[in-house]
Amino acid sequence: MNIDKGTIREPGAAASGSGDSENGPQPGRKGGSGSPIEFRLDAASGVPTYLQLVHQVEHALRLGYLTLGDQLPKVRDVVAALAINPNTVLKAYKELETKGLTAGRPGQGTFIQATLSQVALPELAGLRKALLGWLAAADAAGLDQDGMVALFTSALQDFLNRRGGSAARRGTAGGGTEGVA
Amino acid sequence: MSMNVIEADGLGKRYGGTWALRDCSLAVPAGHVAALVGPNGAGKTTLLNLAAGLAAPSAGGVTVLDGRPAGSVAALDGIAFVAQDTPLYKNLPARDMLHLTRNLNRRFDQQYAEIRLGELGIPLKRKAGKLSGGQQAQLALTLALARRPRLLVPDEPVAMLDPVARHDFMASVLTAMAADGVSVVLSSHVLAELERVADYLILLSRGRVQLAGEVDDLLASHRMLTGPAAEADQYAERLSVVHARRGQAQAHLLVRTTSDDPAPPGWEAHPVGLEELALAYLREPGAAALPGPARGRNNQQTEVTK
Amino acid sequence: MTAMTVPADPKEDTSLRSVPWQRMGWVTWRQHRASLAGVAVFLGALAVALWLAGRQLHSAHTAAIAACHPASSLACPGMVIAFDGTNGFLANGFILQAVPVLIGAFAGAPVLARELETGTFRYAWTQGFGRWRWTLAKLVPLGVVLAAAAGAFSLLLNWYYQPYFDAGNQAVSLTELTPFSPGLFDLRGIGFAAWTLAAFAIGALAGMLIRRVVPAIVATLAAYVALAFAAGGWLRPAYMTPAVTSNLNVPGSAWILSQWWTKGGKFAFAGWPSQSLLNRFCPTGPPGPVGPGGKPKAVSLAGCLTPHGYTQWTSYQPASRFWSFQWIEGGWLLALSALLIAATVWLVRRRAA
Repeated sequence: MNIDKGTIREPGAAASGSGDSENGPQPGRKGGSGSPIEFRLDAASGVPTYLQLVHQVEHALRLGYLTLGDQLPKVRDVVAALAINPNTVLKAYKELETKGLTAGRPGQGTFIQATLSQVALPELAGLRKALLGWLAAADAAGLDQDGMVALFTSALQDFLNRRGGSAARRGTAGGGTEGVA
Repeated sequence: MSMNVIEADGLGKRYGGTWALRDCSLAVPAGHVAALVGPNGAGKTTLLNLAAGLAAPSAGGVTVLDGRPAGSVAALDGIAFVAQDTPLYKNLPARDMLHLTRNLNRRFDQQYAEIRLGELGIPLKRKAGKLSGGQQAQLALTLALARRPRLLVPDEPVAMLDPVARHDFMASVLTAMAADGVSVVLSSHVLAELERVADYLILLSRGRVQLAGEVDDLLASHRMLTGPAAEADQYAERLSVVHARRGQAQAHLLVRTTSDDPAPPGWEAHPVGLEELALAYLREPGAAALPGPARGRNNQQTEVTK
Repeated sequence: MTAMTVPADPKEDTSLRSVPWQRMGWVTWRQHRASLAGVAVFLGALAVALWLAGRQLHSAHTAAIAACHPASSLACPGMVIAFDGTNGFLANGFILQAVPVLIGAFAGAPVLARELETGTFRYAWTQGFGRWRWTLAKLVPLGVVLAAAAGAFSLLLNWYYQPYFDAGNQAVSLTELTPFSPGLFDLRGIGFAAWTLAAFAIGALAGMLIRRVVPAIVATLAAYVALAFAAGGWLRPAYMTPAVTSNLNVPGSAWILSQWWTKGGKFAFAGWPSQSLLNRFCPTGPPGPVGPGGKPKAVSLAGCLTPHGYTQWTSYQPASRFWSFQWIEGGWLLALSALLIAATVWLVRRRAA
């Protein structure tokens, strides 16, 4: 998948425009942060918290919940809603910035500055169905979970190599399936 | 430039003949949520009492907020301590608790406190004793945060609270950190929430510090090796094994490693989660991983970690 | 990883003055207003009762004086008996002795004991004010207020008991009390206020040592009683060297400490003579009318012994020394209170959790 570095729209409709900065002695506000998305946390998933946030942003980008120029939820609002460490949110936002997906504006927030190619929801459903079919076939052939994962990973590698995909896409830490963002 | 919110050097506290805390040396950096974890009776409250100036050390010393002696005027000014059971004057209404706290401190943000209590739905006129447990905890937290401290020290703040109250309380603490840069040192014996909340861990067991460090560093420097039980012993010699679990054929070794060496042949290496790490150390009271010179007082190997 | 560091604020740190003392004024008032109100109500009710009783006493006294002006008038003995019988339960002052210790114990012990018992010291002593200053800023004003209230009340006490010490009493053979009477000495003058302050200080220290309200109150009561007995029994007689006289007519207002008899310059016996001596010199039985306590008046005993060369000596404190003694006792009570409060503050400073 490629990153489209399109022109950045004015942070208009989606920006919260509430005027208050990230810092400052204010009691936490309840309710929406003005960002199009809200984060959720799956504490039992075993995936590190910051990675969950990163994936949710990427997933939202893919599905079209987030577009160029949209603002990500303010750190304070994420912390207030999920009761997680602010440094974790910062770490996730930094990761997104390193990937080139977002840019932080001091005093204003973090904004999307690039998108992943969007796949429409019906297309996704179709892809998923095809994948399930493949998995059923692999299972019938006698492959176990690790075997399926190994097969998929090597095929993906081949595909990327053939496509001349740049090494700009870093794999994330952890197991094999995490390698594709 | 970062400062240490708590620095302890050989800190110890004795009650009668028993040492509640011993040989405690710490340097907790600012800007973190440091979780003080350990079983009941491990010395968590003792350590926090020493840092808050409520108790005087029997050995060693402790300074807070970059060198201020614990219990001094300068220290009291910058630390807001919320004791276990969130003590409040039960017969005073919330409004008088605000007034009281305002009079007893140099800094107090009355407006912030009133707005916060309003948002939380805590009536100002009601006596503190008539509030629910969660509301009392939130009131105590409000009083603490309205003092605009540098360091917030809640001692097992959520022990008595129901899940919703607990979530709201922690959300408030963490929001204060996000909004005002307050550092937090809290004690907890609920391991499951740690990964979400803490980025600095201090593990206490039987009055001694077993582990202290940034969570990321700790997780990066430990690994779970899984392999044949028969080989476990030979590797236990060579590697710094914190905790071993053996089945008939298979063994899991939690090892401490400073390098990214691959697992020995025939073994698999997995990263460790925070809860698993903490539990393993707590099950091995003799194991310790402290920054700084190794003090040879354990049975197991003590290795110098970064 | 980006950590959220706290920006240093040099302006804030350099001028770390303590929180000003007067802020504690509201704190002390708010936390102890119920206690102070209780004391006020208690003393107020007592004052009303005492005033009503005092009017009775004063009018009985005036009536007795008037009736006894010709000392042998017929109405006189009846009036004297009426006066002696008025408010008999207050006459020796023992009941009112309980007032200072009740005030001191119930107002003083909870100051620290309740904080320690309920755990609120973990809040109070981690605030910016600092714990030993907090303690001092509570104990001193409370002590002063209680002493002042007690002092005001003792004006009423002085007024109440004045008839017993009126100069004209002896002439009309009304009861003449010594101002050093154990139940009365510290109700009058400045003694009442001083003992109230001391009780408060004992209560405060007990509260800090015992850390539980009810046991601290009990301990305060016990310690106070012990101190009061020690003061009345051993200390007070020795404030000034007692006067010694062989004059048999020691005034009734004097505080007789001891009496003994000598013969020919040598000590014979103290107190009551042995039976053999009595048989030799007072063969007709216990001579003369009996005095207080059923013992024969010494004057009468002297009647049979003096002609045989015995001299009675009396060691006593004259009534004129009343105010000197008040200042002495008030002085050491004040010093003791200051010491106890200082000890309490020192304890708070040294150890807490």
